[in-house]
Formats: sequence, structure tokens, C-alpha cells
Amino acid sequence: MKTIAALLMLAAPMAAQAQETGSLVRFVACPTYRDADSGRKSGCWLADDRATGRRWDVSLSPYKPDWNFAVLVEGRVTDAKPDACGAPVLDPVRTSRLLDQPCVRHMLPAEGYPGRRYKLQGRYIDPLSVPRAVPPGPYAERTFPVYFEFDNDFLIYQYDDYLLDKAVTWIRAAKPKKLVVTGFAATVPEMVSGQRIAERPEVARERAETIAETLRRLVEVPVEVKWQAGSQPTAEPDADRLPGQSQRRAEIRALF
Amino acid sequence: MRVPVRRLLLPLAALCAFAAAGARGDGYDRWWEPGEGRTFPVQLDYPNDQGTLRLLLTGGPLETKGHPFFEPLGPNGRACITCHQPADSMSLSAQTARERWDTTQGEDPLFAASDGSNCPTLPQGDRASHSLLLKRGLFRIQLPWPTREWNGKPIVPDFRIEVVRDPNGCNSGPKYGPAAGNLSVYRRPRPLANMKYLLAVGFPFDPKQGYALPLDPDTHKPMSGNLMADNRTGNLRLQMEDASSTHLAFARRLTREQIDRITDFEMRIFAAQQTSNRGGAVDTLGARGGPAKLRDSEPGQLGSIGEPVWSEFAAWEHIPPADAARLKPEELAFRQSVARGAKVFRDKTFLITDSAGINSRIGFGNPVRNSCVFCHNMTQMGNDVAPGQVDLGTTTMPFADPMPDLPLFRITCLKAPHPHYGRVFYTMDPGFGLTSGRCADVGKITLQSMRGLSARAPYFSNGLAKDLRGVVDYYDRRYNIGYTEQEKQDLVNLMSVL
Repeated sequence: MKTIAALLMLAAPMAAQAQETGSLVRFVACPTYRDADSGRKSGCWLADDRATGRRWDVSLSPYKPDWNFAVLVEGRVTDAKPDACGAPVLDPVRTSRLLDQPCVRHMLPAEGYPGRRYKLQGRYIDPLSVPRAVPPGPYAERTFPVYFEFDNDFLIYQYDDYLLDKAVTWIRAAKPKKLVVTGFAATVPEMVSGQRIAERPEVARERAETIAETLRRLVEVPVEVKWQAGSQPTAEPDADRLPGQSQRRAEIRALF
Repeated sequence: MRVPVRRLLLPLAALCAFAAAGARGDGYDRWWEPGEGRTFPVQLDYPNDQGTLRLLLTGGPLETKGHPFFEPLGPNGRACITCHQPADSMSLSAQTARERWDTTQGEDPLFAASDGSNCPTLPQGDRASHSLLLKRGLFRIQLPWPTREWNGKPIVPDFRIEVVRDPNGCNSGPKYGPAAGNLSVYRRPRPLANMKYLLAVGFPFDPKQGYALPLDPDTHKPMSGNLMADNRTGNLRLQMEDASSTHLAFARRLTREQIDRITDFEMRIFAAQQTSNRGGAVDTLGARGGPAKLRDSEPGQLGSIGEPVWSEFAAWEHIPPADAARLKPEELAFRQSVARGAKVFRDKTFLITDSAGINSRIGFGNPVRNSCVFCHNMTQMGNDVAPGQVDLGTTTMPFADPMPDLPLFRITCLKAPHPHYGRVFYTMDPGFGLTSGRCADVGKITLQSMRGLSARAPYFSNGLAKDLRGVVDYYDRRYNIGYTEQEKQDLVNLMSVL
């Protein structure tokens, strides 16, 4: 029941009443870098939704834009004040680089906005010198999802490494007989900012093989690879209530 | 038996060179001849232009007689020690190469045709045929093309290489160049000291490549990825086999005993600048520079969550008046400058743009604001805790300086364009791209070690910067940093004491 409610929430209409707190926005835009300076990694990323004319602060994306390329923005509206970067804040938010859509690079001065001072928080892993806590048993079949940017199989720093580290710690303790990695791709076309967008079917296989290769380097358990197009959203918490993010995933299933 | 006249002249030339080398303080002892059988002491000091380099050997003195690092193994008379000289912080400076040429009239095995000359096809007696080694400290590195994995497995590259410029003739002709199944690039020898840091693994993932770290084929443990400029070998055994078969022309495989003895020596040797001509000893008045701290510290620590990078010199930020009064004014000023340089290194941020390995594929953003320690992040060492393959542009156009004496290659990406250079671009050394076979990796060069810099100019993998100021100036124009003159000098002074 809880899962159904969560899925209904994810599927709520986006565009019409999309500006209310918690609502989902999704658009394609050329990103703008605001050169705010509160130390390392403190600059701002802004993106304008052409349909609504609104500018959003998308800086909290774990995978940040490249100012030479458009981004697919997916995020939820917050009620945070636009103090840091000069625009209302999307959080959670994702910015997938669309490398086939070049942009004119554009940088704004800080204009008095401080950006955000970087601090290590959220999804990060400890050095290898820090022992991982052994997850308690009993151990049974379990699935671990990891997530990707649009049409991309690259492991996202301070997101996927965190999810994989947790999964690997559990796998090392649980000692399953086999791991089955299934890659998914969101191949059903959707209209976003007047563009028809869909992931390549082959990215499902690329995701599965990327995760499988990484697992082979980390655990001594046989790994089988599968892939599947036409991915549907899930309500897994680490997708951060972003349907598009939940579709772009690979799943590690531990079998005993 | 006919003895070449040039050989008879060698002793005289050596005497002349001895006088010249006296400027660096120690004449004959400075050069370690392969097979000479000297004892390697537990402490060894060598003067250089900035002060004194100190080498520390743990575990007691080493008899080098018969030791595979010090003995010539192949027919060309070279040993590992030839290109990894103690006085040059276990690397080789261009100045030492020039001195060696003058001493031996180019007869030293250092100038072997295979890689100590611009190309074996050139007349080997001519100084000009060795100009890249003498001017830039570069050795020719011939690599198979298309590339192969460490175990010989072929890799299908996703880019095409064409030779645009071949000033030395080693990338064209019947024996050389992509059409002949090989490629020649020119690189500086990396220092074989402080190895525990270069082999240290801090985290299980390579965030730049988006995978868990590759596993050592011998130990099945993760590899650091910080040994070679193009990361073509990930452990010391593979590096030794690569070097012995190419640089030493050793036709057989190294024995397990030889590998173990070389490894033992390389893991025991630590090198860093110990004194500065202008600032005195670098481990006084609370500072903790020099090799002893390196020897005694735990490797692989990330400065941002532990001991900040170059905090060895933090005590010189505020030297108490009583201590300051005992220093000469110029010594005090120099030490304060070093401390400021460490802060500039850590804290002065700038926009890093269009650098693969930083701005792509990893998601820091392009641009991203950060400082030198973003990449030079390992405490005490300044190399990258993660595998350090990054494209600063030092070998690739348009960022690289013109270097008309180096070859130029046109790269055409056959699948996705390079994220910053596009479909077609030009490089003097594809770097890590030659190892991975991926267009997105072309131009990436593993971060350099930052210790013992004063002993081993020039800098960057292709010798682009002739001195430490050249390093700072390159970064300043590459990333439009806008260092003040004071900041530049502070950074130079810092690097001169590492």
C-alpha cells in the first residue's frame, strides 16, 4: 500500500501546478554557471525552464552540468529562499548532460550571491582505512539499485560509490551464491521542453556491464548480467522521489 | 685492438666536467655508474640549485654490488640507476643529462640509440640527435599501436591516430609510426622514491573512470593507478618488466629474486629537499619538511579530511619573535613565503575548465571552482589519492605550448566526440588514451610526484616547464588564475623545499 501511494505521488502531474513545494519539474536547458565564491566547489548552476520562464537553482545535483552542453533537469521544488545562488532551489535535483546538444557557455558574476560553502555530507564513502560495520543477518535474497544520469552508464561520484559500498559490504557479509545485475533503460519516448527524448536501448546493457565489472573487482561472487529496455519508475528511496532517476538504474540481486 | 679516439679523450673530458660539476658541489660522486658497487648509505645528501636534497634509506645501508637495480642487466650497459639517479631525487634532470654528455662525449649508455636519442635512425654521434634528452630531459617511449593490455590482449581503440608532424622520424617510415604498429612519444622519467605513497590506495573506486579500482594481477588487491604517466602498468613488477625490456634492452624476463630485490630497494628509499639555500633546514622552528616525515608517515591520507597538504610548513606562518630574531631577515622572509605558498596551494581557488578527469566524465561540473589540492590531495606527497589521470592540456592543443621538436598527432574520435576537444583534435602525447584506447582519455597524464622537485627539472611529463616558475606560469595561463607576483613567488618557494 505504501509503495502504491509512493508511486501515485511520483506520477502526479508535473507541468501545470509544478511550481508548488514538492512538485516535480522536468525540462531541457542550457545551463548557466554563476561564479559565486565561498571556497572550493561553491559555484552555482542555474537553468531556465523555457516553458514557464522560470530560472532554477540546480546546484544540488550530484552530477553537475558542463556549460558546453544542454542538461535534462529533473527536480522537486523547495521552499528554500533563493539566497545562495539567486534562484529558487530544486532539491532533490538531477542534471544529466546531453552531449549531443551543444550550448554557448555562459557565466554570470556572483552579483552578491555567496553560493554554498562545500561540506562533506550525505552520500559519501569512508577511506578504506575505516572498517565498515558488518550488517547484521540473517541474510536472504536482496536487491540493491544504483542510478545513472540520462543515457549514461558512468558511476556517479558521491552517489553510486556510496550505494555500491553499502551493497558490497552486505554482500561480503552475506556471501550469496550468485549476483545477477540487470541494467535498465528508459527507452519509452517522452516530450520534454518540446523535445522527444528517450534513452538508447543499449545503455541498459552498458549499465549492467559497468556494475558487473565493478562488482567483479570488489567481491568474489559469480556475476551474471541481464538488461531490459522500457524501464518503469520505482519508489526506491535512493532515487530521491525522482521518477526519471528511478528508471535509469541497474539492480544487483543477491541470490542464495 | 682499435680504441676509438673519443674513448681516449674521455678521461680528459671527465676531468673538465669534474670542475664544472663542482658548481653543484660533489664532482664524481654525484653520478652513480651502473655496476660500480658503491654502498648506498642510510642518508645521502646532494646539493642542488635551491639547497640540498636528502635521501633516506630505511633498514640500513645497501651493498649495490650485484644488486639488480644498480647492475647493468642488458647489453646496452644501463641499469635502473642510470635514469633514476639519487642526486636527481631518483629521476634524471636535463642538467645531469647535459653534464653526462659533456663528461663522456655522448658515449654514456644513457644516450642509447633506442630511447636516449630522438630516434635510432639519426646519427648517434651528433649532439643534436639527443636534443630532447639534453634540452627537455625526455626519453623516447615506443608503444604498440593499437594498444594492448598488460597481458598482451589487444584493445580496439575508439579513435584513429594520424601523424601530422614527425620532426625526429620515429613516427613514420618502415619501422616506426602507427603504420608500422607502434608510436613514439617522449616523456620524463618519474622518480622512484617515496613509493609507498604512489602505491597507496585510499578508496575502492576510481571516480575519474567510473569503476572500482582495477585489481593487481599478482596480489588481486586494488591498484593505485599512480605509477606511470600513461598508467600502462599498475604494479611494480609490471613496471620493472616494461622498463627492463625497453630501457635496458634486457631480452630475458626478470627473475622473481631480481623483482623482489628491486622492490625492496624502491620501497625503502625516501627523497625530499632537506635544506634551502635561502631558508635553511626545512624541519626547524616547527616545520616538518624533509624526507624523515615522509618516511615515518602513513601513506594514502586525503588532506581534506586529515592533515592538510603541505601543513608541514604551517608553523612558519607565525614564527615567534624570539625565533624570528635568530634568523637572517632573508631567511625569515623565505620561510614566511613558503608558508604563504602552502596556503595559496590549498586555498586559492580558480575555475578549472575543460580538463578531462576533472570536468568530465566525473560530475564535478565544467567549470568547477577549486584549488591545487583538488587533485594534489594526498597528505605529505601531493599526488592524487585516486588514480591521477587528468588532462591539464600540457600535451594537447590548444592548451599546450608549441613544442616543434615533438611529434604531433591528429586524433579522430570514432564514436562519441571528446567531451572538450570535439571529434578531431591534436596532441603531442595521447597519454592515458594510449593505454585505455578511449578517445575521452587522450591527453590525460598521471599526476606528477611533488617531492624533490628542486633536484629534477624540467617539469611536466614532456618537460614543458623548464623551472618551477614555468610550472606556476603554465597553470596561471591555462586556468586564467590571476596569481599575483607575490603568490607566484610563494608557490615557487614552496615547491623548491618539497
